[in-house]
Amino acid sequence: MKWLLRYSFLLVIAACIVFFSFWNPVFLSAGNQMNILEGSAILLIVALGMTLVVAMGGIDLSVGIALDFGAAFAVVALKEYDAAWYVAILAGIVGGCLIGLLNAVLIVWLNVSAFMATLGTFFIGSSVQRIFTNGGGPISHRRMPQEYRDLAVGDFGGVPTEVLIAGFVLILYFIFLERSILGKRIHAIGLQPTAALIAGVEVKKIIFASFIIAGATCAIGGLIASANIRMFTPLSGFSYLLDAIAAVFIGASMHPRGRPNVMGTLVGVLFLGILANGLNLMGLNFNTKDALSGVILVLALAFAIGQRRLTSLRKGQT
Amino acid sequence: MTPILDMAGISVTFPGVKALDKAMLTVLPGEVHGLVGENGAGKSTLIKVLAGVYAPDEGVVSLGDEKHISTLTPNLVHTAGVRFIHQELHLVPHFTVAESVFMGQEISGRFGLDKSTMNARTEDFLRETLNADISPRTLIRDLGTAERKLVQISRALIDGRATLVVFDEPTAPLASDEVDRLFAAIGGLKSKGIAMIYVSHYLREITHISDRVTVLRNGKAVKVFNEVSDQITDPMISAMVGREIAEMFPKKENTSNKKLFEARELSGMGFSQVNFDVAAGEVLGIAGLVGSGREELIDTIYGLLPVTSGSMTLKAEAYNPKRPAKAVKAGVALVPRDRRHDGLVLDQPVIDNINLASLEEVSTVLMEKRGVAKNRAEAMANQLDLRPRNVTMIPRLLSGGNQQKVVLGRWLAKGGDLFILDEPTVGVDVGAKVEIYALIRELAAQGSAVIVSSGDPLELLGLSDRIMVLQRGFLAASHDAKDVNVDSLVALTTGGSSGAIE
Repeated sequence: MKWLLRYSFLLVIAACIVFFSFWNPVFLSAGNQMNILEGSAILLIVALGMTLVVAMGGIDLSVGIALDFGAAFAVVALKEYDAAWYVAILAGIVGGCLIGLLNAVLIVWLNVSAFMATLGTFFIGSSVQRIFTNGGGPISHRRMPQEYRDLAVGDFGGVPTEVLIAGFVLILYFIFLERSILGKRIHAIGLQPTAALIAGVEVKKIIFASFIIAGATCAIGGLIASANIRMFTPLSGFSYLLDAIAAVFIGASMHPRGRPNVMGTLVGVLFLGILANGLNLMGLNFNTKDALSGVILVLALAFAIGQRRLTSLRKGQT
Repeated sequence: MTPILDMAGISVTFPGVKALDKAMLTVLPGEVHGLVGENGAGKSTLIKVLAGVYAPDEGVVSLGDEKHISTLTPNLVHTAGVRFIHQELHLVPHFTVAESVFMGQEISGRFGLDKSTMNARTEDFLRETLNADISPRTLIRDLGTAERKLVQISRALIDGRATLVVFDEPTAPLASDEVDRLFAAIGGLKSKGIAMIYVSHYLREITHISDRVTVLRNGKAVKVFNEVSDQITDPMISAMVGREIAEMFPKKENTSNKKLFEARELSGMGFSQVNFDVAAGEVLGIAGLVGSGREELIDTIYGLLPVTSGSMTLKAEAYNPKRPAKAVKAGVALVPRDRRHDGLVLDQPVIDNINLASLEEVSTVLMEKRGVAKNRAEAMANQLDLRPRNVTMIPRLLSGGNQQKVVLGRWLAKGGDLFILDEPTVGVDVGAKVEIYALIRELAAQGSAVIVSSGDPLELLGLSDRIMVLQRGFLAASHDAKDVNVDSLVALTTGGSSGAIE
């Protein structure tokens, strides 16, 4: 019973799957399943970066900017400097790190709140992209090295590379946040920073590093996106921001103590992916689709959180 | 004389706990009645029964001539003229004094709110009844804490129908010179014939202003003092803790002369030119009023506040931590005064809280070894007699004493040379208090140096080898504990200045 309540959100997902497959049997086909995974890869990577920051008690509104910078640095390195594919990847990750660094400096050195600092970075980063591209035109690079292109379109034994990359990042994040002692410290900072400080945790260093890691992670998403369409599209990262936040909070709602967590984020991302895919297959108009996924999301969360509150009330806690 | 309030044979049971066990409380008209007891003794439960918040399992509450058997409601109690002054102020910062006083009971005239009447009545009430001179047009945010307290009192009493006022720890947020203003107000209320129940941990306040005192222990009213003087402090404590004072404290071992920590001409925010040292195996007590620099001194030693001049030495090496992590690395541990906010991560399991300062020791290549971590936490829980002995619980659900044991457990697991404990037993029940005292002496016996900062003179005397007294940021005195007693220590801390309770 307890198990059932705790994973009630999984039930909601199962119900969605059953519903979608009744509506359109194509939904269950192996090809479509892979579509969902492929479509969720970049969002998962971005949402993991967001999970780290939210677990630490912050929020990162600039994940999209880090993604854009990752794509921009890599594409520019390939196109203007004829860089090798691995150098381009490195350049992209450096681009994401720069965004993380700006956040870290604002938050740790200048004591700006995470919300305001990353919002500032968001505005600055957006503007820089527009200036650099003379108003937001894409930078395309048709003759992309095949190795770089394979980040998005390649596969290993039938599994798309982007799914493998996302899986790899997922495992790294799981070990880092949920199994390592650094993860323990990050969660402690997220819950009660002064208590962590007094217990001898290097609070500032960890916050500083976490924002850089989150930026670098989002940049990986940017690499895949740019490899997929063979261009850098300015400001395209923004579309991931709200989905990433939603995924993290869906994941947190499944945790017994309401904490952001890696596996929960995975479930959140897959839920959003299934929803988008299923509604698509129903042949719904683009505009109604968004409204419907919003309604389903809110209902599902209300259900899951309501269940959790019920259990804790029964235990006499609040 | 008919009592204005008579609570008799009150019992309240919470799941698993008998919070009140046939408790009684009698308040006579016009008296100030002190209500004391350890945390968990049942003071607040008794007050909540009076407020109509809890319905007692048995017992009778008589308000004036009316008897009530579990029929009290908050409305009924209010109509009977009972008013509660809670610890929290609940005032809106940008309201004026008069607006705050009349909030929810505004006077309206023909053209909306009658501000001039409200202002005049507020000013009169403050001056006539509470002996305070505060303009009714001042904004709350511009007032000091004591003045806000007076506004809170005015708000409860402005309708003039109060017959009994309950003060719950009214001086807790006040500095000692502010306490005088509150006492002046209480004097004013008393002269109007209003009876009061005064709940406080500060026994000197109790003996100073009460006419009679009731002592609660384990949900029972164990003693009623009908005569109150300074002489009853010791019997009052004995009644509260249920044993002789001397039995609470462990034996002091001899200390070595090896100086472990030294401060030379140390100055920081809130204190200056303090000289002292602690030897291995020694417990040094620090006494001082709020604002004496006691808290700042400790925060500076731990790297939370910067040193402005002077120097510190730890184990014969220069020591100046820039942040707590450095202090911990050097072998210093802090049990902070606000354990719920600064001491514990309340929603992380006890395992993680105990291991938080020494995570490297329960890991390989940064990976936590969960089995090892759990065993270590369980061993510590056994050693400290943590109740319940469940290390997967979150500390938020533990009692104050057990929470403090978790903080102590973290530093015992980590080990250290200098242990600093700031108000180690505030909000801790008496049983856990005795265990914590034993633990502190044991730390010293094992060769650590211990600094205990406390506002409780009894605790300092029972625990320390030496006591130093801070006054307004300066070291005022330093004595062997056996050369001072409660009276002389209190005199030293207040410095014979116009302290509140001279």
